[in-house]
Formats: sequence, C-alpha cells, structure tokens
Amino acid sequence: MKLARLTERFYDLVAPDIPNEWDVEEVMEPFIDENDLICEAILGHIPVIWPVSHSLCYDFLRLLPNTLLHLSLEQVPRWIGVTLDLYETDGLRAAQRFMQNDLKKYLSQLAGRGGLSFSSVEKQLLPYICGIARDTLQIAPARQSYTDTTSIFVPEELNQFSNNDDNFLLYKLILTFQWGFIACGSLLNKPPGEFSNLPSEETKHSLWLRTFFDSFKEPLLARDIYHTLESIRVRIFLDNELPGLMRAAGAQIFHSFLPCSEQHQPEKTLRSMQQALTADKIEIHPLLAQHLTEKESHTYCQGHASAEDSVRITSRLYSTLQRKKQEYTPLSPLPFQGVFKLRAVETARKIQEQKMGEQFADMMAAHLLSLSKKELADVLKQDQRDSGNTGLAESDISMIMDSEFASTANREPEAPLLITINNEELQLPPELEDFTKNFLDEFGHLPARFLSSAAGKAGQTMLEQDIAGKNEDDQPGTEALLYNEWDYRRQGYRKNWCSLHFKTLKPVHSGFIRNTLEKYHGLTIRLRHQFEMMRSQERFVKRQREGDDIDFDALVEAISDSKAGLASSDRLFIRLKRDERDIAVLFLVDMSNSTAGWVNTALKESLILMTEAMEVLGDRYGIYGFSGMRRSRCELFHVKHLSEPYGEQVKERISSIAPSEYTRMGPPIRHATSILREVDAKVRLIITLTDGKPEDYDDYKGKYAIEDTRHALLEAKAADIHPFCITIDHQARDYMKHMYGPANFIFIDNVRKLPLRIPEIYRVLTS
Amino acid sequence: MKQALKQRLEEHLITEKPYYLASGKEVDIALAAHKNKLPLLLKGPTGCGKTRFMQFLAWKLQRPLITVSCHDDLSTSDLVGRYLIRSGEAVWADGPLTLAVRAGAICYLDEIVEARKDTTVVIHPLADDRRELPVEKLGELLSAPPEFMISVSYNPGYQSVLKDLKPSTRQRFVAISFDYPDPEREVEIVCREGGVDQGLSHSLVKLATMTRSLKDSGLPEGASTRLLIQTSQLVKDGIDIHVACRAALVEPLSDDPEMLAALNEMVSSIF
Repeated sequence: MKLARLTERFYDLVAPDIPNEWDVEEVMEPFIDENDLICEAILGHIPVIWPVSHSLCYDFLRLLPNTLLHLSLEQVPRWIGVTLDLYETDGLRAAQRFMQNDLKKYLSQLAGRGGLSFSSVEKQLLPYICGIARDTLQIAPARQSYTDTTSIFVPEELNQFSNNDDNFLLYKLILTFQWGFIACGSLLNKPPGEFSNLPSEETKHSLWLRTFFDSFKEPLLARDIYHTLESIRVRIFLDNELPGLMRAAGAQIFHSFLPCSEQHQPEKTLRSMQQALTADKIEIHPLLAQHLTEKESHTYCQGHASAEDSVRITSRLYSTLQRKKQEYTPLSPLPFQGVFKLRAVETARKIQEQKMGEQFADMMAAHLLSLSKKELADVLKQDQRDSGNTGLAESDISMIMDSEFASTANREPEAPLLITINNEELQLPPELEDFTKNFLDEFGHLPARFLSSAAGKAGQTMLEQDIAGKNEDDQPGTEALLYNEWDYRRQGYRKNWCSLHFKTLKPVHSGFIRNTLEKYHGLTIRLRHQFEMMRSQERFVKRQREGDDIDFDALVEAISDSKAGLASSDRLFIRLKRDERDIAVLFLVDMSNSTAGWVNTALKESLILMTEAMEVLGDRYGIYGFSGMRRSRCELFHVKHLSEPYGEQVKERISSIAPSEYTRMGPPIRHATSILREVDAKVRLIITLTDGKPEDYDDYKGKYAIEDTRHALLEAKAADIHPFCITIDHQARDYMKHMYGPANFIFIDNVRKLPLRIPEIYRVLTS
Repeated sequence: MKQALKQRLEEHLITEKPYYLASGKEVDIALAAHKNKLPLLLKGPTGCGKTRFMQFLAWKLQRPLITVSCHDDLSTSDLVGRYLIRSGEAVWADGPLTLAVRAGAICYLDEIVEARKDTTVVIHPLADDRRELPVEKLGELLSAPPEFMISVSYNPGYQSVLKDLKPSTRQRFVAISFDYPDPEREVEIVCREGGVDQGLSHSLVKLATMTRSLKDSGLPEGASTRLLIQTSQLVKDGIDIHVACRAALVEPLSDDPEMLAALNEMVSSIF
C-alpha cells in the first residue's frame, strides 16, 4: 500500500482527531511493502488502541514490525488485549515496557512454559490470606516481597519451580511469612523499655526501628541481624500456628534453597543462621546460642520471644559480628523471607492515621450535630464568624486540647476523655471515646487538624441545613459511577470507560398529567381493571387434599357418594392459595435528541398510563431516563426509585422528561443491573423504551455500540435479570434481534399507539 | 382424648440432660423470663446453639418442648389446628401451638422471620400479658397456664430486609443475643460434642475464626460451631482430617470456586 493511502486510512480511522502528519507517516512507513490484506489487518487494530491511548497506539505501530517476527497476525489481537489490560491497570509505562521487552516472556507464557503469575492466583490468595490473618489485608505485585502492615507485596511471577503447584505453595508461604511479621509485631513502632532513651529523631511517623538501625555504624548489618532473628521467630510462630503449611513447605520447597557458602564473617554466620530457617526443625545457631541465656533460648524455641527480645539480642550480636576493616555486604534474603521496607510501613501508617483521623472527624462532626442548637452554636461560633470573613486556614480556629489529649505518656487508662473546642468542654460519647483511645494507642497523639475538620464539617452541614433548597442539577451526595465498556474488536472491556452522572429532573407543574388522564380516561379504567385481575389475590381453592378449612360442598358430595356405595373423594378441604407477584421492574427511558416531538409525548403518556396501572398492581417499579454525551458524561435522570412511593413529585418529574442528547445505552443498563442485583424478587425486569439504535457523539456507534449494548444485556441476563425492549425504530428488527435476543423486544409501528400498547405488553410479559 | 394428649406430649419431653455450655447469663435470663411469664426471642447466626439452648432450657424446666420450623407457607391453622375428616366425621386436631398452650409446654418457633407476617400475629395475644390463644373455629379462648412459654428465634445476619420482624412482634419479647462461643468455650464444646482431642479441636476453632473473618471478602457467613462438631465427628470415625474438613466444613460454606480454593488452602495450611 502506498504511504499516502496508508496515512489517509489512518486519518479516517481516528477521526475526528487530527494527529500530526509526520507522526503518522513515521509509524506507517514500515508497512509500505506489505500487501493490502496485511495492511488492512494492521489498520484494523488502530480503532481498538487509539481511543484508549494515542501514544500507546504509536508505540504499537512502531514496535509491530519487530513483533511480527515472533507473533503471527492472528496472535496480535490477543497480545493487544494483554497490553491494554496492563495499560488500564498499571499505566502507559508498564504497557510500553511490556510491548518492548516482555515479548519473549509473553511467548513462553503462550506456549504454557511460564511460571505462575500473580494475577492468575490473586483471587484465591486474597481470601486465603485475609482468612489466615483474620483481618482485611491487601495483596499486590511488586519486585520484592515485603509488607507495609496493611498490604503484602509479592513477586509478579514465580518460576523457581518447574511445577506450578510448588510455585503456588511458595506464593502461599511468602504471603504467610509476611503476615507472620505483622502478627509477630516485628515492625516495631515503639521502643522497648530500655531503648527509649535512644534519640528519636525527626517526625512522629518514622518508625522507631529505623532509628534503632541507624544508631549503628553499619545499619545494614543491624538490619540483617534483626531481620534474620525475626525470621526465626516467625518460622517458629508459623510452625505452631500453621503446621500443615510448614510441613508442606518442608517437603516441597525448603530443600531447593541450596546452601550457598560465604567466606567471611559476619556474612558467614548470618548465612548459616538464615539457612537454619529451611531446616525441618529449627535450631538455634551456636553463635546465637552463645549470646542467649538459657532462659532466652528456651523462650525462643517455645515461640514466646518478642520483638523486643530480638532488638536486645541484635545489639549484642552486632558487637560480636561487626568488623573494622571491610564494609558489610548485605545478605540476599531467602525468597519467602522478603525484605523490610520501613519507609513503606511509615507511609502506610501515615495513610492509616489520615484515614482514621477522617473517620474521627466524621464521627465527631456527627456528634457535634447531635448536640442541641445552642451548644453547637457555642462550639462553632468562632468558627463561623471566621469563615464568614475569609476562606481560612484551619489553624485560625482556636483549638485547645486537654492535656491528657496531647500525649499518651501519663494518661490514665480510665480517665474520661475531654475535648475542648473554643473553650467549650465536650464529653465524648462512649463509641467515639473508644475510637479515640484506639487512635491514641496507635499513634500517640491526635492531630488538631482532625478536630478542626470535625468542627468545620459540622458547621458546614449546619449552614447547608439553614440554606434550604440548594439549587443543584447534579444529585447531591451521589458521585459519578464508572462503568466498563465492551470493545468487540478487543474481545475485552475498556475499564472504567464511562462515567455515569446522576441527575434530577426538575419537577414541572403543568396540565400534562391531567390532560393525559382525561384523554385516555376510558383506557385507564380498562387498564386498571385488567391489572386488578392480575393482582395476586389470596384466593381459596376448593377440593384440596389438605387445607385450612372443610369444603362443605365436597364433603356433602363425598358423604352421598359413600352412602350410594361409590368411592368417595378425599379432596375435602379448602386451601388459601397465595400466588405472590414478586416482581421488580426498572423502566429505562431514552431521552435522546431524536425523541423530540411526538415520540417524547407518546413516551410520557405511556409512562403515566403505566404508572397508574402499576399502582393497582403493586409491583415494585422504578423509572430512569438516560442520555448524555461522550463517555465522560453519561447521564441518568431519576424519575422514580424502586422503593419510592408514587406521588405528585413523580408525576411532575414524568412530565418534565424532555429530549436531551445522545443514546449511550451501555452504562444505564449496567447501572440498572447493579440496582436490580441488590433487589430480592422472583422476577426482575429491565424494560427499555427507545426510538432507535444506541449512538453517541464519539465512536459509540454502529457495530461497536450494538455490541456494547448487547454485552451489557448479557451481563444483566447473567445476573438473572430479564431485559426487554420496546422500540419504535423502523429498522429495528435486525439489530434488535442480535442485541436482545429474538423474543425480547417488540416493535411498535405507530407512535400514537405507544400508550395503548405498553401496559398491554407489560401485562403479557409478567403474567 | 386426655390420654392421647398426654402421649403426644411425652414425645416432646426431654429426659436426658442436653449438653450446653453457657457463655453468659443467658440461662439465668431465660429462667427468670419463664418465671415471670415473659416470651423469649433468641437471635444469632446459624449453628451457634440457639436450638440446643432451648432443649437445655426445656430440660431444666422439665417442660415438653414443641418446635415448629417456620416456612413461608406456614398458615395460622398449621399453628392453631384444624378440622380433619375421619370416617365421615369432622374431627378437630390441635396444632402445635394450641397443644403447647393446653399442656403448659414450651413452644419454640424456629426461624420466625421465614413465616408470613399475617401468620406471626397469632402469637401476639400469647406473647403479652394476656397470654391467651383464641381458637376461632372451636369458639374457645384458651388461657395459657403459668408453665407455658413461647420462644422464637431468628438470624439477623443473612435475611433480607423484606424478612424482618415487625416492631409490634419484636417488642413483646425478652431478647437474648447469641453468637459463636469464645474460642476457649468453643474448643471445649467441639471436644465434647465431636469427641476429639483438645489439639484438633483447637485447630478447628482456629479455622472457623479464619472463615468468620472473611465476611468482607465474599463469604456471607463463616463456619458455625455445628459445622465444626460435624467435622470432628467425621474425623473421629476415621476420615482423614483434610477430607473431613473439605466435606463438612469447606463445601457447605460456598459454591464459589475461588473461595473454595482459598478455604482449602487454609485447611491445608492448618493441618
């Protein structure tokens, strides 16, 4: 293909974007010599990648010639899929790295030769470690194994063993060992008694342990001694706690960590101490034994030693092991031992403190708001006066804390906690008090910013309550939700691709409802009647074998039968039968631009007739309108929630339904699915009222849009929700059959018939 | 008639002392409630000993225990009684509730929220100071003798919001909240009921606490004490511990393959 033709095709594919000509020419040039078929195949990948990331698309084209030496054309889409997944989880750099460097690894994985990847076992490992830890932990891949006490990091792939069962066992062991460090309290944040005089430098967030290591001439040696000692402690702990795992590790894994010999001290000693970790039964190293009293070595072996003991022994061992001349070369840890990353622990603590602090602020704000107006005003008076003047920094709010609050050093455990804000003393409710005490135990102090944030929040809420009727279009308190979108070319999801915003329709007072009800007066009455018939009544069924009461007709018959010498029936009872209609249905109303005019009116009229009838029936139903423009602004308009009662407000919202922008069907259907998934009903329905194909301003059109909608509907079906569509599009038959399945849509040719037909359709659908 | 009633009741009398290890003041509370003619509401997760507690209480009070497992098709006449046709005659048959009232027994409605709300209201006049049961079809108004006690149970954990007790029902009861026993007690219970040694029982309890902490990770309810006992009974009969845990503990908890795999890994780590 000629270069001009190639670039032209490129521009077609990425329209309306207009990339730089020289960029395009540069990446397309290598393909000049390829034949048309191959060129088209290559060009076909551009719309998959371009919308996700432009630069990734360029990189892809740049690297493709080289990649094609190893991969066949048919393998490329799968490779792109993996790259895009990586882009969406780890970003551009990771995806580029993968395309550039990891082709070999990818190939060997394709051939089934690779080790065990973290992503393939993550879903098993996460509940496993949470269960073992009896706590919520996160796990994530990283280059080295370590823990920051809230997450455990493990290698992305393990290929130490040819057998993936063993690799899996190693994953388990790594996770469990890292949890062991958490459970044994290895990552000390407070100094043990006799070390409290060690200069504790800089901020309150830094771990004491780091201060401790830094106090030695060779911190790395101290760290490795401590790490090894703690590993021994964890090993003993796990031997007792999880004997099954350790036995399996002993049989399958430990033997493969061959002893490697070190020539010099102290590496030699440390290495042999480390090797002891893989023994069937752990033994105390002779040198270590020298430094332990008999009692200490006993507590060690019994697993009663603490991290403080290890600290003490570390400083003793260090003095023996340290060398004057040579510098210490850090020991490489055994694969399951991992490393200590104290910085990570500190960061995690900071985040934890922030989180707990915010929680505290929320609780405190709630508590403040629960006080009487006057008390609250006293507490907040200064705050409000200040914020009236300027946008203020938190330090301007006067905050005096009780001395007990400032530090934990001499706090009596039973002393009640008092907080002083603006000279008003506050007694905390028990729940908050417990929380605060926990916080203080963990972090030693409560930063004033959280208190001021609580006061600020309370003040803010009070202000909001005072200013009634805030006029906002977006529904307050709801954030936009992100939904995936299906790309059929990629056979995978574009993750978090669409953001769905929740909007409220402003109620409109108009005669629309009244007029509609008048216009369809006869029909409403008939509908009501029809729907009443469908209502599941509790009804008596006669002639049952057992029941609540005697069926006298049957009894008389039976007696006369038996008098006449005939066999009498044993169906003599009346039974109360309850066929409950247990239906929850969501109506999704297309509010796209194309519905303007008659269609919109007909849709609204049908909704009104429908709701009137539904009220008779007693089914749970919700109504939402949808529209929007581009993936960043899909909109869902609330008309009626499932549990909301039908009333004036709802009626007014129905009459305010108006044509808006485009029809991106995927996100609203996915949202409806997520709502219905939480609902307990025998039958769950999503009924879409629309006038045409799904379409949006960007590349959401044609096959892509239809395939995404179809996929959203398949997701609904997978959740045991029945989708159904009522459309007035004349060309509907072909694509509707594909999207909804042959029996799940209905086409109405005359818009004016819509109000008549919809209730009927619903009746047939649900009875 | 009297004879038949007596015989039916004897079947419900618990003669042997059921094993029950109290974890708090629940026995005292229940005894006091009985003495003061107050109804009992037991709540707690499945398999934590609610039914066993009722058996123990019935034994202690030496009253027959009539248990009704509630379901959504349970009607008022299933509880109160109905006419039956026997050889051309209509014969009245007491329901379990009526039977219990007549005999001054303990009537225990298990999983009360499973019953329909219009059925649950029949117990209202019995559960307050009136303590009477109108039997409309007989035109009788039965007054409960002082020994009669009504008690209901439910599991607040997993039932949906639709299945909640009406406040008017709820507010008649003395409520006792049950939970899984604390580890030491649970170990003792598993030892005793499952007939296994302390060590194994301890490991089983450890496994159970692990599963109970998985609530946030997608397991709706952790292993109950009952499951632990069943597991240990399998072990006692010579089944390998891994196999027994899989059959009696892991598989009953979940159908999700990943969760099952994780639970199995826990089992193989502990044992």
